Amino acid sequence: MTTITGALRTRAGVIAATVLAAVLLLAVSGPFLAPYDPLENSAEILRPPGAAHWFGTDYLGRDVLSRVLAGAPTSVFTAFEAVGIGLVIGVVPGVTSVYLGRAYEWITLRIMDGLIALPFLIFAIAVAALLGNAVHQAMIAVGILLAPSFYRVTRAAALSHANAQYVTAARLFGASTWWVLRTHVWSKILPALVVATANATAGGLLIVSSLTFLGIGVVPPEPTWGGIVASGLGYLAQVPYGPVFPSLFIMATVGALNLLADAIRDTSGDHGRARALSRTGARRVRLT
Amino acid sequence: MTTLLDVSGLHVALGHGRKRTGILHGVDLTVASGEIVGLIGETGSGKTTLARAVLGLVRAGSGTVAIDGRQVGGLRGGALRASRRGGAVQYVFQDPLRSLDPERTVLDTLVEGLAVRGGHDRAGLREAAEQVARLVSLPLGLLPRHPGELSGGQRQRVAIGRAIAVDPRLLICDEPVSALDASTRITILELLLRLRESRGLGVLLITHDLGSLGGVADRVVVLYHGRVVETGTVEEIFLAPRHPYTRLLVASVPSIRDERPPDPGLRRALRDEVRASAGGRPW
Amino acid sequence: MSVSPDAATAVRAPARAVRDEVLLSVRGLRVGVADGSEVVHGVDLDIPRGSAVGLVGESGSGKTLTCRAVLGLLPVGVEVTGGEIRLRGTDLTALPAAARARLRGTELAAVFQDPASYLNPSITVGAQLAEVLRVKAGLGRRAARQRAVELLQAMGLHRPEHVYAQHPFELSGGMLQRVLIAMSISAGPELLIADEATTALDVTVQAEVLELLNDLRRDRGLTLVVVSHDLAVISQTCDTVYVFRDGGIVEAGPTRRVLRAPRHPYTRELIGNHERFGIDRVREQGSGR
Repeated sequence: MTTITGALRTRAGVIAATVLAAVLLLAVSGPFLAPYDPLENSAEILRPPGAAHWFGTDYLGRDVLSRVLAGAPTSVFTAFEAVGIGLVIGVVPGVTSVYLGRAYEWITLRIMDGLIALPFLIFAIAVAALLGNAVHQAMIAVGILLAPSFYRVTRAAALSHANAQYVTAARLFGASTWWVLRTHVWSKILPALVVATANATAGGLLIVSSLTFLGIGVVPPEPTWGGIVASGLGYLAQVPYGPVFPSLFIMATVGALNLLADAIRDTSGDHGRARALSRTGARRVRLT
Repeated sequence: MTTLLDVSGLHVALGHGRKRTGILHGVDLTVASGEIVGLIGETGSGKTTLARAVLGLVRAGSGTVAIDGRQVGGLRGGALRASRRGGAVQYVFQDPLRSLDPERTVLDTLVEGLAVRGGHDRAGLREAAEQVARLVSLPLGLLPRHPGELSGGQRQRVAIGRAIAVDPRLLICDEPVSALDASTRITILELLLRLRESRGLGVLLITHDLGSLGGVADRVVVLYHGRVVETGTVEEIFLAPRHPYTRLLVASVPSIRDERPPDPGLRRALRDEVRASAGGRPW
Repeated sequence: MSVSPDAATAVRAPARAVRDEVLLSVRGLRVGVADGSEVVHGVDLDIPRGSAVGLVGESGSGKTLTCRAVLGLLPVGVEVTGGEIRLRGTDLTALPAAARARLRGTELAAVFQDPASYLNPSITVGAQLAEVLRVKAGLGRRAARQRAVELLQAMGLHRPEHVYAQHPFELSGGMLQRVLIAMSISAGPELLIADEATTALDVTVQAEVLELLNDLRRDRGLTLVVVSHDLAVISQTCDTVYVFRDGGIVEAGPTRRVLRAPRHPYTRELIGNHERFGIDRVREQGSGR
């Protein structure tokens, strides 16, 4: 946890956290804040932004602000769902691949290599075709495809600490693999994992937006950020700025997540230690 | 004085397939309780492999390792873990910084062995940590600190404390002072002498620096290319070495009492003799 | 903090006829860190041409930073804040960085503790040595190769052609240190700084490398500065010794005098520490019987 609190002390971290807090607030309360029913059609189609409709209206006369707010939960939480699935099926084999013998290591490595080779969208479309076109099925597909990066990150971190001298010392006390993982290895993996999670969430959000843009996982008229961009695109000639509003929300969220990942990476691990030392302990380091 | 460690005819080979090379070729070694045995050898002589074989970290090809009269060579898995929880033998690494988990406090590190063993609550562990800290002369104020905040000498005290906490009979120290300054070195060596005195601890002190064994070790075992070439008391080894390699070692140790380097001619002659005795092995 | 070394009474006679000429003179050297603290507080050194001078002290005593200041290789954020470093009368601290870089290798050279980290692991040691000869000594490709092999031989390496074609990982620590010494003296510097150059080596190899340094001094008139925490190493290579503590010099003088009749309590403590454990203690007890 110290790495995260450390990241929040940098300016980038504060900005990222503020934006993300606002997005989370929207994701929870968005549907209740919506001034109109997001599904209600009206005669006022393709209106420019104004006092009554801040973001204007779409081709069916629906209030775009209300649709963006109502679409926030689906857009954000589905990304979390995908990342959660990816974490579980990436991290567990990632850590255990270092400890459970060569055969297991080889098999998990090949499976993950195979997943990396699959093209994202096509796999998601195929799963949607196979399991039915619904949001959870789509997120399982996305989660599976996010797993290899979690697997790689945790495996690399676990591998670099698997033979540390303090691990040998623990083994000489008769410690089990579980003890070693819990007391020595986990805390070394965590910072890398937090960074990977923040990055993957940003990626997940983009994928969810792309899928809903294509109408996969979420069926219209249910509002999602990607879907709103898609419906706006059809009327560019009449309302050239139509896709801008939902896109701004996507960009702000993804940007904030990437910023947070960078801030955490800069303040954790060897990189962070070097930075901290150059600020506070310059003397001691240079003398040795 | 009872024999704590009895290594007999130990062969160890490392690597796989065609790359498999013999590291130890029939090593005999004993350490009695309350005895400090110096194991001296150069880089690649197999001294660290010997320690790892005794600890069960590498598998012996043939030969036996007995600790306190019990064979430990063949143990695997759960039986090995259970035997290790007994804590009869412990290890102290060369580099105290790398051997301590940077994310764990001194307190957690000191009592890790007891925590693994189980049967202590939080308060009991704290009390045990304080006891160990006093034993290795660590200020109690350091208990909540992390290794990065300690000096080199303090770190090595933590490492020794961690090993001592489970009350081992035998301590294997691999170059415990070579990463430390001279003044710190002395306090660590004095700590080992004190522990030997107070608990009858047997110590196997591994080093590449023959000079550092003076005043510390009772006996010296000289390892050369995986074979024990000479064993004797410190006085015998330092003042009347017999094997050419030991003589070369002694002739190479610089002294502050000589202003000139050890006689190059003598060393060259000894080196040739060692080479001949090792069967023409490249130096 | 300035103790003038009684270098004139140095024990061993150097090979060169020019006896008392000072090659390098450091006066009131101060080194500071960016945060305003000072880590070397006014150090004076006199290094006569052809001599071997030892700098002894524990880690953090300022001996290494003093050497790095002389070489112009202080770490980022650390700089000389006062004093002079004169090489044959020229103040090095006043020279621009490019001029100082040109001096390294041709006038001043250094070897350090961990030779492998100064070599590129993917290039043969011979090619790396030849490169130094081409850049620093201006030799042609073929001449550089030939000279490199000669140098490797002069460093006491057997089968120099074979060593030339080896990669760093194929050589032992002692051999690598010989290669590094060959590189450092390849452009004919007058002063060689050996900073803990034998600390990581086995004792038999250390003896050989120290012997090599002594030979270079005798045969080529190389001036040596030996930095070590080990009094015995200094004792066997140097005629003058400076004892560093906390960024200053507490005692200086001929090695024999300083080690046999130390004047400063800290020097006495260092010697006491050395004798508390070690071969000298056993030898003394042995000869006392």
